[in-house]
Amino acid sequence: MHEPILYGNLLLQQKPPTLRNPNLNPNPNNVKGIKENASSLYDFSDLKNMVKDNAVIVFGKKGCCMSHVIKRLLQALGVNPAVYEVDEVDENEVVIELEGIRAGDGKQCSMQFPAVFIGGRWFGGLERIIASHITGELTPLLKQAGALWL
Amino acid sequence: MNFASTQFVPSRRMGICEPLPQIGMWSDYKENNYLDTSTPAILEVDSRFDNQSEDTSHGIVEPSNKYDQEVSKTNDKQLRRLAQNREAARKCRLRKKAYVQQLENSKLRLMQLEQELERARQQGLYVGGGLDTGQLGYSRTTNPGIATFEMAYGHWVEEQNKKTADLRNALCSDITDLELSSFVDDGMNHYFDLFLMKETAAKADVFYLMSGMWETSAEHFLSWIGGFRPSELLKVLEPHLGPLTEKQSLELSNLKQSCQQAEDALSQGLERLHQILSETVADGLLGEGNYLPQINAALEKLKAMVRFVGQADHLRKETLLQISRNLNNRQAAQGLLALGEYFQRLRVLSSFWTSRPRESS
Repeated sequence: MHEPILYGNLLLQQKPPTLRNPNLNPNPNNVKGIKENASSLYDFSDLKNMVKDNAVIVFGKKGCCMSHVIKRLLQALGVNPAVYEVDEVDENEVVIELEGIRAGDGKQCSMQFPAVFIGGRWFGGLERIIASHITGELTPLLKQAGALWL
Repeated sequence: MNFASTQFVPSRRMGICEPLPQIGMWSDYKENNYLDTSTPAILEVDSRFDNQSEDTSHGIVEPSNKYDQEVSKTNDKQLRRLAQNREAARKCRLRKKAYVQQLENSKLRLMQLEQELERARQQGLYVGGGLDTGQLGYSRTTNPGIATFEMAYGHWVEEQNKKTADLRNALCSDITDLELSSFVDDGMNHYFDLFLMKETAAKADVFYLMSGMWETSAEHFLSWIGGFRPSELLKVLEPHLGPLTEKQSLELSNLKQSCQQAEDALSQGLERLHQILSETVADGLLGEGNYLPQINAALEKLKAMVRFVGQADHLRKETLLQISRNLNNRQAAQGLLALGEYFQRLRVLSSFWTSRPRESS
């Protein structure tokens, strides 16, 4: 795991600059999500790196209050999560990309927003966060991922 | 109940034989003007009243000469007028007495009806948050999903009271641990049933749930996002669990803190939703005339409310599950009993509050 603090601060609530570069690097991994002549020809392959490089990252729809809840809860625990706000137009492609990342874990469920990745692996949504917090599973997991140092 | 209806009681005998007599206004009782003294005719006593007239004019003294005739005629008139007045005043007092009596009886009847209504409400013929909310009839008549929920919830409360009583008896008796554990599971599942019911109701009308119209007033006063506040619940439970091991104490303390943190996060999310909703509705406020885009956008935001209630109930469920994991069967049973009684007391409190005697302003 790379230094989470550094990347966390860099990526907090910011979209990575490599996205939204039309036509530059059509990623073969993204072919299924991208239409040749579509106006939204975005390269979302960097999402994979974001997930890998952040101890905790929350993907949520723009203006979604549920991802706000997750963010607040994690902050109360002493974690500074990276937050990626997805525009409505990009929703489908981001979902496909994230499901692709998740498929690497061997699980095949459909992705919903907000989606939390901990330690490079898909964790779940708000419900899972709350449940694991109540049972006490969340904190050790965050420590293991390097998001907490206490 | 409108007592100002002017359905005048036809008979002068103000009989109080119907349950809710139609009382006329006091002015209706003064229909015939007994104070009219313009007629010089002989006083007509109303034969339906007791004929104990205070009329003292038994006879009329016959005057001897013409001047005396004039004087005595004037005196006669005066005497007659005075007698008529006395009679009128007496009848007026009688009527007033009868009217007040009727009012008192109606007041008693009203109090009886209010108490019956409250009792019926508690016993599961639940028809809403109470007359004091001023919204009787809302949603029930327009939303079948809510009507279903109200009935189901009424039964749920009835069941809950029964289960609490059974649990109390079980704890006093000589019961095996296995039997006790089935009581605990049953009790927990009953709460989980409620959460499922609320999930369906939230899809029908989430604002109905949020407004607390389905809860009694005291419960709603203490509620948080459409139900009980989990951390508060833990505080209520704690003293009733009996002696705890050190490990149990620590885990309970951690659970309290985790609950509080989750509640705070959800509350903050809800505040954010308020903000966003307000901004969405106000977008383009100045004189545009066409507000459909804002309404549509706001509709989308409001859907988030359903998820909030769902998450709050999910937190309640997880909290109950977690606390039961840390306790043995007897402790869990005692906790459930304490909970059941706590909510019962809140419901009774609401009932007493609703039927308290109102001070006159």
